[in-house]
Amino acid sequence: MAELSARGIVAGYGAADEILKGVDFSVGRGEIVCIIGPNGAGKSTLLKTISGLLRPKAGTVLLDGNDITGRLPRDIAHAGLAYVPQEHNIFPSMSVRENLEMGGYIDPGAVSKRIVKAMERFPVLGAKQRHAARTLSGGERQILAMAMALMVEPSVLMLDEPSAGLSPLAAEKLFDAIIEINRDGLSIGMVEQNASEALAISSKAYILVDGRNSRTGDAAVLAANPEIQRIFLGA
Amino acid sequence: MEVLQLILNGLMAGTVLAVPAIGLTAIFAVLRFTNFALASHMTIGAFAGFIANTTFGLPIVPALAAAFVVAGIIGWMSDEFVLRPLRASGFVTTAIGSIALTIALENFVRFGFGNQMRGYDLPLRRDWVISGLRVSPQQFENLLIAIVVVAMLFAFLSMTRTGKAMRAVADNPMLASIKGINSDMVARLVSFIAMGLAGLGGMLSGLDTTIDPLVGFRTILSVFAAAVVGGLGSIPGAVVGALVIGVGEELSLLVLTPAYRTAVGFIAILLVLTFRPRGILGQRAY
Repeated sequence: MAELSARGIVAGYGAADEILKGVDFSVGRGEIVCIIGPNGAGKSTLLKTISGLLRPKAGTVLLDGNDITGRLPRDIAHAGLAYVPQEHNIFPSMSVRENLEMGGYIDPGAVSKRIVKAMERFPVLGAKQRHAARTLSGGERQILAMAMALMVEPSVLMLDEPSAGLSPLAAEKLFDAIIEINRDGLSIGMVEQNASEALAISSKAYILVDGRNSRTGDAAVLAANPEIQRIFLGA
Repeated sequence: MEVLQLILNGLMAGTVLAVPAIGLTAIFAVLRFTNFALASHMTIGAFAGFIANTTFGLPIVPALAAAFVVAGIIGWMSDEFVLRPLRASGFVTTAIGSIALTIALENFVRFGFGNQMRGYDLPLRRDWVISGLRVSPQQFENLLIAIVVVAMLFAFLSMTRTGKAMRAVADNPMLASIKGINSDMVARLVSFIAMGLAGLGGMLSGLDTTIDPLVGFRTILSVFAAAVVGGLGSIPGAVVGALVIGVGEELSLLVLTPAYRTAVGFIAILLVLTFRPRGILGQRAY
């Protein structure tokens, strides 16, 4: 059974503006599922809609069978879905440790224990826990953003272009971290421009074009498709 | 010696000025508009403290607490029922609305208390003279109270979960919302604390002189200048800006008559906006 399931999502940023025109998306328990597609396809809009930042005009979003459609972001966070935006995903003037505390804001009783766990998992955060988050490198910021999302021990983690703007080395480390998090049993939905890397670590993939589902299926099968290779993988 | 005396006076005045300046900058950091209604809340605080002190006979510290609470509650209510509905129309509309609000509230105070000047029930004390520098005991007490209040505020912001949530909303409201922080509750709390600080600042200003319904209006330019000079949105910046404005206003007396000291605020705003628009410490710094 899908842990996260979005059906027939219609959403946009204005009354007459429909970016998503009936998109379906689901993440099964323990899966990594990626969404790829050209710029303007609606990938980030889908994640914002699922996480409650945008209210869908139509469609339903179920998390563990519970309807979370159009609920407030904080209610969706309480329900167990953590979302990491592509940009502005940390509190820059707060310290790394304070960022982690805010990551676990909705579950204050467990914060101290989870901070220790986050710092064990990502030693760079432990080493820089008193530094202002704005002083971190791009890769470290993405790690911090992900660690903040993990502070509530969500059932599903949604990542919006986590490798955007990172060096190849930093991106590789980040993808390793995503795989490791997934090995612990966390379901992950991910929008990613780096299609080859995203398809390589995902079990299932969705291709969005112009606000609609274009292809859906096994990530390895899609990665082997010559047309997909030509359009998205630069082959 | 005259310059040293003016600098000392300026530092003491600046520390008191920092209290409402922190309020102004905190509102800007969280709610993204300049709330000029701070002026009338300084007046409300000054009069609430006056009633607590002269009618109920409370000593100064409990009267200051009354000034904080009354101005804070009215600040929260005025934001909730007057300014909040305007916020969707943009920050300029809301800021203009806050000017209208401050005129209305100031006139309510005038309607109740009249225009005459009033003084707190304070014992008469001689000034202290230390190494040729003159300090009034009341100024010194005001300085200590302002330092304690600012220190408590910093402790609240850096050590409590709610204080950190306020900083998080100021830093990145969208992410704060994603993390489950209720930004509406934070906005209410900020309105209460900021206007409470304004009320406290209004009473502190009045303790050293007298109060009347224009006590806030006369100070708001200096408060605004302090917040802009330090970096609008930066709480430590408001403290630094207040000290700069306080000392600047006092030193201006070397070349200007007291009637023109408010020009320092205008000049400081002009210079900062021209040469360092983000202020001394920059916006959003904590």
